[in-house]
Amino acid sequence: MDLANYRTSLVKFQSLIALVLLCIVLSIVSDKFLTVDNTWNVMRQISVNICISVGMTLVILIAGIDLSVGSVLALCGAITAGLLKNGIPIQSSNLYIGFTLLGAILVGLIVGSLLGLFNGWTITRFKVPPFVATLAMLTIARGLTMLWTKGFPISNLGDSFDYIGTGWFLGIPLPVWISGIVVIIAVVITKKTVLGRYIYAIGGNESASKLSGININKVKLTVYAIAGLLAAIGGILVTSRLDSAQPNAGISYELDSIAAVVIGGTSLSGGRGTIMGTVLGAVIIGVLNNGLVLMNVSPFWQQVVKGAVILLAVMIDKANSKNE
Amino acid sequence: MKRLGIIFLLLLTITACKDRNGGSRKKMAVIVSTLNNPWFVFLAQTAAAQAESLGYDAKIFDSQNNTALESDNFDNAIASGYNAILFNPTDANGSVANVVKAKKAGVPVFCMDREVNSPNAATSQILSDSYSGCVDLAKYFVQTLHKKGNYVEILGIVADNNTWNRSKGFHSLVDYYPGLKMVAQQSADFDRNKAMEVMESILQAHPDIDAVFCGNDAMASGAYQALVGAGKAEHVKVFGFDGASDVIEAIKDKKISATCMQFPKVMAQTAANYADEYFKGKRDFPRKIQVAAELVTNNNIGDYIAFGKK
Repeated sequence: MDLANYRTSLVKFQSLIALVLLCIVLSIVSDKFLTVDNTWNVMRQISVNICISVGMTLVILIAGIDLSVGSVLALCGAITAGLLKNGIPIQSSNLYIGFTLLGAILVGLIVGSLLGLFNGWTITRFKVPPFVATLAMLTIARGLTMLWTKGFPISNLGDSFDYIGTGWFLGIPLPVWISGIVVIIAVVITKKTVLGRYIYAIGGNESASKLSGININKVKLTVYAIAGLLAAIGGILVTSRLDSAQPNAGISYELDSIAAVVIGGTSLSGGRGTIMGTVLGAVIIGVLNNGLVLMNVSPFWQQVVKGAVILLAVMIDKANSKNE
Repeated sequence: MKRLGIIFLLLLTITACKDRNGGSRKKMAVIVSTLNNPWFVFLAQTAAAQAESLGYDAKIFDSQNNTALESDNFDNAIASGYNAILFNPTDANGSVANVVKAKKAGVPVFCMDREVNSPNAATSQILSDSYSGCVDLAKYFVQTLHKKGNYVEILGIVADNNTWNRSKGFHSLVDYYPGLKMVAQQSADFDRNKAMEVMESILQAHPDIDAVFCGNDAMASGAYQALVGAGKAEHVKVFGFDGASDVIEAIKDKKISATCMQFPKVMAQTAANYADEYFKGKRDFPRKIQVAAELVTNNNIGDYIAFGKK
């Protein structure tokens, strides 16, 4: 391998290298870090962020942004929990419509997709900048969550629902299965399908894609709907893990997922990046969160360190893309 | 068209006049630090409900933990003619200017739960005594652990006075017992999910702990959930603060050891009652009332419900 090739592969795997370095340092500092238990622990903790970040990657690949994911997550989790626990009471009678586990989850997922679709609709139909459209949705969905929950958590949702977030299947925690399946599907979509090619094309050059006959609006609608759906999956995972839908769930999750995407090397201007990069980004953030707590680092310092890591990742990425 | 405009303008002025003077009903503004936490939702709603049951209009303003937004809320409340403000401050020092502003405009302010650091700005302050509550909780903590063991503290938002009031109250007693060792102190921002994740990680580093003290009940529920996941819920004792409904249920089932009951209902109703008396001419209110936070354990759980006494 000559030097130039060596260099490009180094650039390609920079987040993996960063992760390995981080893990080596942490396992030297704490003997509790590199254990089977703690590995599953970290994987389970990041599964929600992975789901959201996969959606965020697709959105950022088409040069958009979705700031509403945290609120959509909270709303969908709360809707599923509320339907499961209380159903929908029918006005002026003692009856109510009950929901099965599957029914409640399905409604939650549909609501998430619809909110995403609505984001896409305002962006494509009215040319509202994605930043503004999804910022508005961030507030709207949070408000709807407050209305639905009346500001109080919905708790004690039953063992079968809790199993989704806390159970194990074939020796692997269920949330890890779910996020893993999400990642696989997303990798297939981006690498092997027409939709995937269109996503990269639109992010790379929107007007050229339009001229070549791609139905840009349809792709955008699909991508925002997927982001909403994945936020809803995250919401159901969080709710199930906690056995409680919190009205303030998911606050600032959009920032964690953007951080994962950026650390993973996806360009914020679209067209360049991978799902696996984002997964690495999410793992790095998860490992960092876990490691700082394991070492009992002061909460004040933790925020500084996390911010510095994000900054460093982007600086390295920028420096490398200049050299290319 | 011009005439229509003038009529429209006239109509606007008339409604505006009516809004200011015409309505004989007096109005109370409930300005609350945040509605992102069930405890404050309960506080705000109780205050508004009490004001309405006394025959006043009431409206809730959410400051979203932001002192600048709180300042806007004060401006709006004063400008739209509210006659009194039932106030839950975002910050003991940062909120002083807002209270002073209302006082200058002739609008009395009654503080609930949290204090503003100014002796005369507020007409009266009805406060929760978190510090003493945590000292009581700490006594029970020491007793339950037989003065020996490793424990974890999960703090609330580190920029919040309540976080440190509670932590200091707790440590003012617990730190006298050398057998009690704090092996980790982390923040989970008063958030249930964060508390679960932080606790999961702490359990990796310290699998042999005996107790967890959490700065509020949401975090106690989250920490408990992590202990269940790790199969340690039976051995590790969980202590919370607030008296939220999930934790009251958990104390009944002996899942969580104890919490400190605050009385948002008492504070909110007292504030509304004081404002009512103020309108009726009373002026000599106690500057400060401390509402004690009471220790709730499985022994006395029968006396309590969520956020109050039966």
